[in-house]
Amino acid sequence: MAETKFPRVFTGAHGPEDGAGETTPWPDDVPPDQDDTWYPLRDDPWRARRMEYVIAAFWAITALCGLGLIVVYCTGGEAQYEGWLLLGAFATLGTGLLLWARYLLPGHDIAASRGHHVSDPEERAAIVESLSRGTDSLMSRRGFLVKKVLVPVGGIFGVAAIFPLASLGNRPGRALYHTKWYSGARLVTEDGQALHVDDIMVDGILTVFPEGYINDSASAAVVLNVGGALVQARHGQADFEVVSGANGIVAFSKICTHAGCAVSLFNVFSMQLICPCHQSTFNILQDCEPVFGPASRPLPQLPLLVRPDGYLIAATDFVEPVGPGFWNRSGD
Amino acid sequence: MSTVAERSAARKRAQLEQKALDWADDRLGSSKWLRSAMDKIFPDHWSFMVGEIAMYCFVILLATGIYLALFYNASSTVVVYHGPYKPLDGQSMTEAFASVINISFSVRAGLVMRQAHHWAAVIFMAAITFHMGRIFFTGAFRRPREINWIIGITLLLVAMLEGFSGYSLPDDLLSGSGLRVVFSIVQSIPFVGPWLAFNLWGGAFPGSGVFFERLFLIHEFLFPALLAGLLGGHLAILWHQKHTDFAGPGKTEHNIVGSRLWPQYAIKSQALLMFVAAVIFGLGGLVQINPIWVFGPFEAARSSAGTQPDWYVGWLDGALRLWPHWEFRSFGHEIANPFFPGILLPGLVFTVIYAWPWIDKRLYADYEEHNLLDRPRDKPLRTALGVAALVFFIDLTLASATDVIGNGLQISFERLIEILQYGSFIGPIVGGLVAYRACILLQGGNVHPIQRPVGGTIVRDERGAYHTLGASHGENGHEGEGHDVDGHTGNGHTGNGHGDETTLERGPAGG
Amino acid sequence: MGPGALVGAVMAVFAVLVWSGSAPAQTKPVSTAPVHIQAGEALYNAHCASCHGIGGVGSKGPELLNVGAAAADFFLATGRMPLASPNLEPVSHKPYFNPSQIADIVAYINALDVEHGTPGPGILDVTPACANATGNCPTLSEGNQLFLLNCAQCHDASGAGGMLSHGYVVPSLRQATRTQIAEAIRVGPRPMPNFGPGQFTNQQVSAIADYVYYLAHTPDPGGLGIANFGPVPEGFVGVIFGLGLLLLVSRLIGNRG
Repeated sequence: MAETKFPRVFTGAHGPEDGAGETTPWPDDVPPDQDDTWYPLRDDPWRARRMEYVIAAFWAITALCGLGLIVVYCTGGEAQYEGWLLLGAFATLGTGLLLWARYLLPGHDIAASRGHHVSDPEERAAIVESLSRGTDSLMSRRGFLVKKVLVPVGGIFGVAAIFPLASLGNRPGRALYHTKWYSGARLVTEDGQALHVDDIMVDGILTVFPEGYINDSASAAVVLNVGGALVQARHGQADFEVVSGANGIVAFSKICTHAGCAVSLFNVFSMQLICPCHQSTFNILQDCEPVFGPASRPLPQLPLLVRPDGYLIAATDFVEPVGPGFWNRSGD
Repeated sequence: MSTVAERSAARKRAQLEQKALDWADDRLGSSKWLRSAMDKIFPDHWSFMVGEIAMYCFVILLATGIYLALFYNASSTVVVYHGPYKPLDGQSMTEAFASVINISFSVRAGLVMRQAHHWAAVIFMAAITFHMGRIFFTGAFRRPREINWIIGITLLLVAMLEGFSGYSLPDDLLSGSGLRVVFSIVQSIPFVGPWLAFNLWGGAFPGSGVFFERLFLIHEFLFPALLAGLLGGHLAILWHQKHTDFAGPGKTEHNIVGSRLWPQYAIKSQALLMFVAAVIFGLGGLVQINPIWVFGPFEAARSSAGTQPDWYVGWLDGALRLWPHWEFRSFGHEIANPFFPGILLPGLVFTVIYAWPWIDKRLYADYEEHNLLDRPRDKPLRTALGVAALVFFIDLTLASATDVIGNGLQISFERLIEILQYGSFIGPIVGGLVAYRACILLQGGNVHPIQRPVGGTIVRDERGAYHTLGASHGENGHEGEGHDVDGHTGNGHTGNGHGDETTLERGPAGG
Repeated sequence: MGPGALVGAVMAVFAVLVWSGSAPAQTKPVSTAPVHIQAGEALYNAHCASCHGIGGVGSKGPELLNVGAAAADFFLATGRMPLASPNLEPVSHKPYFNPSQIADIVAYINALDVEHGTPGPGILDVTPACANATGNCPTLSEGNQLFLLNCAQCHDASGAGGMLSHGYVVPSLRQATRTQIAEAIRVGPRPMPNFGPGQFTNQQVSAIADYVYYLAHTPDPGGLGIANFGPVPEGFVGVIFGLGLLLLVSRLIGNRG
């Protein structure tokens, strides 16, 4: 098809100059003298008919794609075949519609008055009158019913309507301060195996839970073997680390103190734990102090002990709330 | 041109149409409105169609979404999966996750529908954002269209939340991490945070059994209903106020130039719907998106590298990465870190965006009504501020991909975050200054195509009249409608956004 | 995992398996034939000794007296060694040596280890749990769970890789062989941590390696995988390609004025 570009046709002036259309738009937009029955192939029936066949060919492809979709579905479905067929069906349907609209349907540019999208001044005045008919009587006796009765009554009733919202969930209570770790809890892996002090080699890392609470969200911890390197503990937490031979075993909360993702990227070179969500980086050897990223508090350390039979156990729960901060976090 | 048979068929058709429309009019009085509707004029500059693209994405989202809702199971009950995807066979997972795995592997055509739904959401947000940019840079939000700006921004906001809630429904590792971050953000709100988070989730993270039911209700009823209602209002107001247009020959503040809705514009619009569907379903079948079977079911102890939200939430995730490690603690209370980038920043951003029409009025001391659009270069300050905001947004979005970009470019994420932290300040300033300068240069250049009549050259004949000689006239055999350009041509563009009021009149046949 | 005695026994058996060089069930045999060891020594002295010292005692590079056959095989077969310069980071390359040369050097390193004390981990023999994805496949599921909890945080759930701190790039696993994955788990090529027999049994390591191989070599059900990096490339494709295409269509449909 030869490129058939529309001439931009302005078949009638309808600006403020002619003064007509401004006040009497018809029938909303288009002045009566603007006739746009012309379309690009109107005066060329032979090419118009050829265009109809072209469009029909496109839509025939649409139908073929439709048949193909039925076949694909009935033979079990396959996403990629479905993708190609849907793409083909919609694209050919669209192309046919576009050619139809462009070459065989009237619709070139015409100009019309915008008219007014605002009401007449009289109507504006009238509505105030109508409104005050109501407000005047509503506010009789200086609005006794409205101001002195309805407002406070509505307030009380409104407060009553808020209460059901409290049914949505239980109050946080102490939930954010504690985890499921308890004194003597063995460290178990996701598949339930209790961890022995010799199980983790130097530079090893493993995710553990308190025995009986596997996959508890707040209790997830990582246990690491830092080898001979003693972790520089915070005040009062020096005995949280277990040293057995050449092994220094430490455990930290796996829940990031920034936004709560599982911190578990372990860079053995720099002895850092990194959070994959926002790249908060914690230095294991300095009590998991944050050294980079948005986290501002160290990962809480789990106090560890070794049972006489060699199993690792928790001495107590974490001594501080795990995870992200909140308003009264320190108000334990 | 038409045969006797054709004419008689046309007569018959007209009679039938009359009958049907009379039936409707007897009951609804619809003819008057219907006629004005069919004759309604829409300017059809290509950039005005991006809002339509967004609307058609919404249509496809509804259609595919209804299909998916027939199979999705918003339940936190733990079940053991047995199905065709072997790596998950025998694993415990929530019914929510299992049902999305079933949609992907066991429901015929389910995977295409699911992926098309997700791609439609991605493109929906892209189209809304582009549309919003077009409105902003051309000043289409000015009086009398402030209300539609407010509705439009609300649509953006609700669509963003709708997208995020949908991304979260499968309960896979990626979306679970996203919910974990959102829980932490809600929890960080001063005073009410923990209480609010526990109420929304029905308990401590990951929430009680009701959580996915709530999320599903929000995703498949509350937000779509809001979107549909707001979209209806958006269109009704557009319909009433009529579309804006660029300045150009023959265009004034008081007229509208375009084609009638019926038939050509309507059919063209349907063609656009088909192309939107073609792209979305093509991607849906051919390009994988959100492979939840790879991420596996969510457990709080798990995490994956490359944990990112969909692109339209990326700027908030990026803000969380770039925000320094500040928390404020005093008097036994603290304002936790995620509050600032997660609540305060988007709050401020949306406040400014909502207030922009009124800020703009003050900036330009312009309280007038406008139907003709600004060219961005003619309002360099607004354009510069818009570009600055865009650069800021892109900087934050890039920040949400620090690990992926770092992996690709072999740059440490520490360096990348530092660069993007500085970039969030310097980038907007540089971008704004460059945009400002570019506007000034373009103003001097006087090269915009809308100053010349399109599709023809102007010649002056011996009587002093101007004629437009369209190059295309001779080729397509359209001879009858040549047009004289009476008076001056459009070289008087004054740069204030008002088009010159060139009058064009019907010329003699044969041009 | 389990009582110390059991672990000790497992480790002892493990060591014996490496020692003996014959590998029933789980570890691949490492040749103890003098001809291979001598060939390996010659290659070692030519290409490795400048850093690792004659006889593996270490100099600019670490000593190799207890690294194990798995480490030697991993670093050589993934082209991480030999390094052009000791200052470089060992990253995956096309292997410098051919497989038989690698086998010789591994035999030599193994012999050194055996001579000097406790050898490190041997080369695991990972057999595919399910040749085709029909029928029940419990180890694939086990590998999936272990991978998501222990590996995905660095290597991405898709195995596409990621970033560690200080600019260390986490490599993609999508080109790795089953054996290489198993070796890396046991060896812990730093900065990656290691996972010893107390953490994962040989069977678990084998399950992980098999799952990762399955993940990388099964066609993506949804179509093009676009780098398997999650929402970032998806957003890029959606915004640039998807909306971009529709903008072009709009230009075709609308006026260009």
